[in-house]
Amino acid sequence: MDQTAAMTPGNPCLLEPGLNCVVSARSLVKQYKNSDRPALNDFSLEVQQGEFFGLLGPNGAGKTTVISILTGLFPADSGSVRIGGRSFQEREHEIKQILGLVPQDIGLYDTLTARENLNFFGKLCGLSAQKLAERIQQGLEFARLTEHAHHQVATFSTGMKRRLNLAVGLLNGPQLLVLDEPCVGIDAQSRHLIHEQLKEINRQGTTILYTTHYIEEAQELCSRIGIIDNGRLVEQGNPAALLQQSGIRNLEELFLHLTGKELRDT
Amino acid sequence: MLKIFAATAKELLLLRRDRTGLLVLFLMPAILVVLITLVQENVMELTGQKKTQVLFLDLDQGDLGISLQNHLSATNLDLVLWDKGQKNIAVIQAAVTGGGYQVGVVIPKGASARFLEETARLFQQGNGKGTPREMAATSVQLFVDPGIMAGLRSGVIAQLEMALTTIAMEAKLTRLGAVLTQTMAQAGVPPERSPLAGDKLPALFRQPLLDLQENQGESEAIGVSLYKPVQQNVPAWALFGMFFTAIPIAGSILQERNSGIWIRLTSLPVSPLVLFTGKAVAYMGVCLCQFLLIALIGAFLFPSLGLPAFTVSMHPAAVLLTVVLSSLAACGYGILLGLACKSYEQASTLGSTTVVAAAALGGVMVPVYAMPQMMQQISIISPLNWGLTAFQDLLLRGYSLSAILDDLSRLLLFFVVTVFLSWKLAGIRK
Repeated sequence: MDQTAAMTPGNPCLLEPGLNCVVSARSLVKQYKNSDRPALNDFSLEVQQGEFFGLLGPNGAGKTTVISILTGLFPADSGSVRIGGRSFQEREHEIKQILGLVPQDIGLYDTLTARENLNFFGKLCGLSAQKLAERIQQGLEFARLTEHAHHQVATFSTGMKRRLNLAVGLLNGPQLLVLDEPCVGIDAQSRHLIHEQLKEINRQGTTILYTTHYIEEAQELCSRIGIIDNGRLVEQGNPAALLQQSGIRNLEELFLHLTGKELRDT
Repeated sequence: MLKIFAATAKELLLLRRDRTGLLVLFLMPAILVVLITLVQENVMELTGQKKTQVLFLDLDQGDLGISLQNHLSATNLDLVLWDKGQKNIAVIQAAVTGGGYQVGVVIPKGASARFLEETARLFQQGNGKGTPREMAATSVQLFVDPGIMAGLRSGVIAQLEMALTTIAMEAKLTRLGAVLTQTMAQAGVPPERSPLAGDKLPALFRQPLLDLQENQGESEAIGVSLYKPVQQNVPAWALFGMFFTAIPIAGSILQERNSGIWIRLTSLPVSPLVLFTGKAVAYMGVCLCQFLLIALIGAFLFPSLGLPAFTVSMHPAAVLLTVVLSSLAACGYGILLGLACKSYEQASTLGSTTVVAAAALGGVMVPVYAMPQMMQQISIISPLNWGLTAFQDLLLRGYSLSAILDDLSRLLLFFVVTVFLSWKLAGIRK
């Protein structure tokens, strides 16, 4: 059985009729209370259906703030966000049903087993008992944790936790999957597995918004990238086309060219 | 509703896995209730609510000592007769001031003879010739443990004074009877025509003409026992334990907030109120088990420790409702704490400080009536006071559910307000 296929979207109503833009963020501004400069400053972004969009940026550039606003964790001070043509103010519940989030920090209960974590989050997604049982099994197979289903997450390696973290994000068969640095601190084997699965999920129609520090990762996975710095989107496009336009040899050099070489210790 | 069940089941699973935390939640109030009740049994002795031990040394071996013993035996004083061979007053003084006994009474040698002599002289002086000179009172020596409370000291002294006054009065009446009989005989009045029989005077004058009748209000009518530390402490320390669950509740929320769980939860199609309800229901179960455990300790362990048994003879449904609403108030506070604080250290420090303060204010440690007036007024802001007052009304005063509705409403309102504030904070904490 192809586990990746099993975890792909089942809900066909992502987009409002006549729309192709899954994520539309316009002129977002966000200023945190304890900061003297805005985290986002006139930030705009559009992600089309079926895209694998990578959001790159140095530390403190505003990546996590973008993810938080786009997934409705908190609102922007100004600007507008629409997911599949819907706004959070009016149709938050609908958006949350088609959205999957994989947070940067592991979002799992350490003292619950892998199966118990999937069961709990699946129930909160509102899955029926039969669907939930299927999704749990698929999630365990997807994360290659079937043999560890009854082990507590506390006993897992970082790679196992990251894989389960991703599987939980896919429980509701999301049409838009948002991943905030999902491969931080894991071994090459787990990273490779996650990359292959994300590519397959994307091939099967799930739109992916992916933030990462790893430029080679973005180059390998993404059909389009955006580079964010100081709360603004400074460049976006297909990685190959960007390199061709700029005449720079690789994406890392382009990244450093656009964001500068000073250390970002924020 | 299914999501609430899921959240409750998850919380119960997490609790089951945290055996140390669970053990502390149950052990802490259980140990406290046993220790405090044992300690307060001693306080009962010190405050005179139990028999006070009186060391009694009769160096005289006369009628005065026997009379005093007989009178004191009828009171709540527990007379301990000192070794008759021991004639040293300093030893008895040391035994009392050292805390071994609360009170020491010594009848000095020759006291009975001196007392009879003075009584006789009283009537010789009363024959109207010359100015009566002041009588030389026969002293009974008293030693009181300086460590006992002022109320008990006054009470014991009052009982001793009452006994001595009665003995003196009986001696005077006996003497008066003898003088009367003699006077009547000298006047030629036969005893059967005498208006008063001299030998019957003491018995006649012992008849009570005024009586003090103590009433316990409603509780007496329904057979509820008088104040006991067990009936006070079991619900009081159970409440204390229940409100301490606020700290693990806050801890569980902070664990979620400080990991990726909170972000994940807020991205799911579920209201924070559903998650809060799941926590409240699970921890309410813990609180109910806490109360049950402490009540069982009160009912079955206390008697084997020489303490009275805890009983819930009246209105068990009202007691259960009080436990449920107190638990909800504790859960609401824990949820608020988890969202208002930034770290577990902050929540545990703030939580334990506020719960101990609320317990002290609420009358868990010292009864509210024993507090200064200002503190009594402040105590009404403590949710533990509302719970404890409801329990006391049910278990000590024998009131029914209707009498505690105001306290129960306060507890429910506290839960609603804390959950509402938590819900508002959850929006900010996203």
